[in-house]
Amino acid sequence: MNEPSKIILPGGNNAVTQQIKQSEEVQKLKGTLLKDIQRSAYVYRVDCGGCNGCEIEIFAAITPLFDAERFGIKVVASPRHADILLFTGAVTRAMRMPAIRSYEAAPDPKICVSYGACGCSGGIFHDLYCVWGGSDKIVPIDVYIPGCPPTPAATIYGFAMALGLLGQKLKAGNHVQGESERATMRHPGVPAELRVLIEREARRMAGYRRGGDIADDFLGVLGTKSTESLEARIQEYLGKGDDPRLTEIVTNLCEISTRAIAAN
Amino acid sequence: MFKLFKTILKTGEATLKYPFAPMPISPGFRGKPEHTPEQCIACAACAIACPANALTMSNDTEAGTRTWQLFLGRCIFCGRCEEVCPTKAIVLSEEFELAVGNKSDLYHKATFKLANCTCCEKPFAPQKEIEYTVDLLKQTGMSAAAVEAKRNLLQTCPDCKRKQSLQVTDKVELTRFMKKGSEA
Amino acid sequence: MSAIAETKVGQHYIDALRQRFPFTVLKEEWQTNEQVTVTIKLGDLPNVVEWLYYNQGGWISVLFANDERSIHGNFAVYYVLSMEAGVKCYVVVRAEVDARTGEFPSVTPKVDACVWGEREIRDMYGLKPVGLPDERRLVLPDDWPETLHPLRKDTMDYRVRPEPTSNVENYKFVNDASGETREIPLGPLHITSDEPGHFRLFVDGEDIVDADYRMFYVHRGMEKLAETRMGYDEVTFLADRVCGICGFAHSVAYATSVENALGIVVPPRAQVIRSIMLEVERLHSHLLNLGLACHFVGFDTGFMQFFRIREKAMTLAEMLTGARKTYGVNLIGGIRRDIQKAERLATQKLLGELKKEVTELVDMLLETPNLTQRTSGIGRLDPEVARNFSPVGPNIRASGFARDTRSDHPFCGYKNYSMPVRTKNTCDVLGRVLIRAEEFFDSIDFIMYSLDNMPNGPLLAEGHVYKPYSFALGFVEAPRGEDIHWSMLGDNQKLYRWRARASTYANWPPLRYMLRGNTISDAPLIVASIDPCYSCTDRVTMIDVRKGKSTTVPYSEIERYGRERKNSPLK
Repeated sequence: MNEPSKIILPGGNNAVTQQIKQSEEVQKLKGTLLKDIQRSAYVYRVDCGGCNGCEIEIFAAITPLFDAERFGIKVVASPRHADILLFTGAVTRAMRMPAIRSYEAAPDPKICVSYGACGCSGGIFHDLYCVWGGSDKIVPIDVYIPGCPPTPAATIYGFAMALGLLGQKLKAGNHVQGESERATMRHPGVPAELRVLIEREARRMAGYRRGGDIADDFLGVLGTKSTESLEARIQEYLGKGDDPRLTEIVTNLCEISTRAIAAN
Repeated sequence: MFKLFKTILKTGEATLKYPFAPMPISPGFRGKPEHTPEQCIACAACAIACPANALTMSNDTEAGTRTWQLFLGRCIFCGRCEEVCPTKAIVLSEEFELAVGNKSDLYHKATFKLANCTCCEKPFAPQKEIEYTVDLLKQTGMSAAAVEAKRNLLQTCPDCKRKQSLQVTDKVELTRFMKKGSEA
Repeated sequence: MSAIAETKVGQHYIDALRQRFPFTVLKEEWQTNEQVTVTIKLGDLPNVVEWLYYNQGGWISVLFANDERSIHGNFAVYYVLSMEAGVKCYVVVRAEVDARTGEFPSVTPKVDACVWGEREIRDMYGLKPVGLPDERRLVLPDDWPETLHPLRKDTMDYRVRPEPTSNVENYKFVNDASGETREIPLGPLHITSDEPGHFRLFVDGEDIVDADYRMFYVHRGMEKLAETRMGYDEVTFLADRVCGICGFAHSVAYATSVENALGIVVPPRAQVIRSIMLEVERLHSHLLNLGLACHFVGFDTGFMQFFRIREKAMTLAEMLTGARKTYGVNLIGGIRRDIQKAERLATQKLLGELKKEVTELVDMLLETPNLTQRTSGIGRLDPEVARNFSPVGPNIRASGFARDTRSDHPFCGYKNYSMPVRTKNTCDVLGRVLIRAEEFFDSIDFIMYSLDNMPNGPLLAEGHVYKPYSFALGFVEAPRGEDIHWSMLGDNQKLYRWRARASTYANWPPLRYMLRGNTISDAPLIVASIDPCYSCTDRVTMIDVRKGKSTTVPYSEIERYGRERKNSPLK
């Protein structure tokens, strides 16, 4: 599906796994499964070698705050009792056979869910030597739940979607550049070099997100023409928050802008 | 044991109402990256910064296009793309309801046009990136006329720029130092 | 490298080493004023390490190899010792291994703690530790070809996936039991097999005689990834995913190792925020372990209550970093997210609630007769065994040793705060549970103090000079113990070598000694008490030594038996 072209590796010898094929009857049965298990879905966790962040969030989804058991979702100890198989972790070499055995032990029809970035595609480990790269490399998957790790709320949403209780929100996107499409310049009223200095300093002091917001506010104050002095407007902006840290950061930004304006 | 029952009674109903009510999220929660293609200049900074290779850029020199792609299945929601983007075209939202039934729904693409070099006529950079550079130069205080004069240079690919500069240096006496050495 | 201008802490160890072993020290390099790497002659390696370990109060933190053939033609092995008697520092003993023979003398016969490290060197590099008693694979899976060693620079691209050599697990399990034992091969007949780790208990009736285990089912190959696809500044995000529970500790340890190597001075505000985040991670991790302890003694209500309260710690993390788990806040040179007024106030409020509720819960837990009865005297880690194997964290602190990286080798925000080190002398599971409960409240105190005394200034140090082939250690105290990373930078803005040693790695080898002499129903509790970095096994095979019989039982059965104490699965 539109992956970068296959890389030819030196030395060849690159094994590929085969996804287990499902027969047509099984696929038909799956349709009725959903209707039958809607209020009582037994889930079996297959850990294919992840960092365990996903396991912890699945634990959290069962605990009182999120309580997946409200929907009849119960985690069971044996794949023979399972209706839903939950695959976490990028499939490591050591876990390939155990995962396949669990899949074969669970009776058909069953729903397979790929949990987390590692399950969906191998995540950050997708091309490593000891990893096969996602659960759909070994078993057919019905639902993908992305996240690193997915929050318990995302887990509940994923299950509700798998059981047909909620609809899918995410859709593929495809944009083609339109005629006369152009990126807009942010803060056109402020000289570019000053804007860069302010944004850099804000990021250095407050991180990329909060720093970006502070820089935006500050540049907004700088860029608007007003009868009041700069100091007065800044004071007004700071007065609203009453945060000494914010004052410290904005003071730094003021110094920079004063120096830059004086230099010109 | 009695204390335990008291605690349980005091706690009451601990379960959150989600999914029957909106989920309370802390501000700044790192959810799905939202890409605004209109703001994007296809510079590939996000693709280089992405630790998981969820963001990729591929060129199609035949068609003269560059395609940006986000694969949410590989995204680790770290926010590096947002951090490095020069035009704030990609920002992490608070969206976490990302489960899909079909893997192809996890892919988002945007295709941009590549501009051709005025000299060799081969595609070398996204059109929007060049336009953005022009706007940026104007914002540094350069007059519109000066920027237009530079446009020819801006729309020349690095190879051709190199070749064009060579023509200027052929006037330099390359053997100047050699002569001095043999005289000494 | 002006950081070394200050006094070198630990110089006397090197001077004493030169006196005790004349002519063996070939080179002495200081990475920071508390870390020194001495290159010695290969033949003296076992004696030098043993002397530093037992005579000078050292503990083995990690040992690993490095393919330095492109630098000077040979391999090198590094033994990192944490010196903790008197003057505390890190001494790294380095020796070069000839590329043609690939042999080096094994230190394991003299120092037990080296066994896993040397097995891993054999797996990943193909070097031969001569005299190593344990010849089995450690890290690579059973279906990996024998002659392919991933971390060598010239063997393979990081993406090469060889054909599986077998579909059958063929790992040999050993035991020290006297008398006849029957060994059952694991084959395709496994009906369920869902473990990231497989245990084998050798039993005599109900008592455990010995145990062996196979780990590394989650080996993904991250160290090779860091050398190839990733730039050195992206590896902080990779390190976050070494472990799902203590990922941030790994991220800080990695960032610190590179910052130490390049001499980057991290701004004070960033250091304090890093330590605050480390303590926030400790909060959720200890609550997780306390909840599991409840679960394994059969007190499931306690388990649910602890997890309910733990959600507050998760919300705290989400508010401070943007994600409940895998914080992604570290960069080389500092951090990328600030704590401002709104976060500070909300954190103080949440911490107050946590403190109050957990105090009540812990009191209730300790009053439950179940707990003291089930955990006192169980899973004993003998102090002598502990001294031989260098375990870390609450595991070893319960055996009376005051080992805690935050006070032994202060880093980040702990430099200006004397963190209490909680120890017990009972050496058992109860001791570990109590230590974790006490550390929970220490963490809350630390975070409150740090929020009130937060230095001003930037979050990120920019504009450092990149020096290829510089290397150093980075270390933190993760919830499970000392977490130590070593990085050597390459000449291409990527790492040349990265060694990430998680705390649980040091805690696994002595586990079999902790299991000996206990009953089967206590096994899940003992394993949980070292707080392993992943939910353990699903499958346990028990081999009755006396009767010569083996039974295979699902782990959930053992857990159930552990809780209910009725209907033994062996009957």
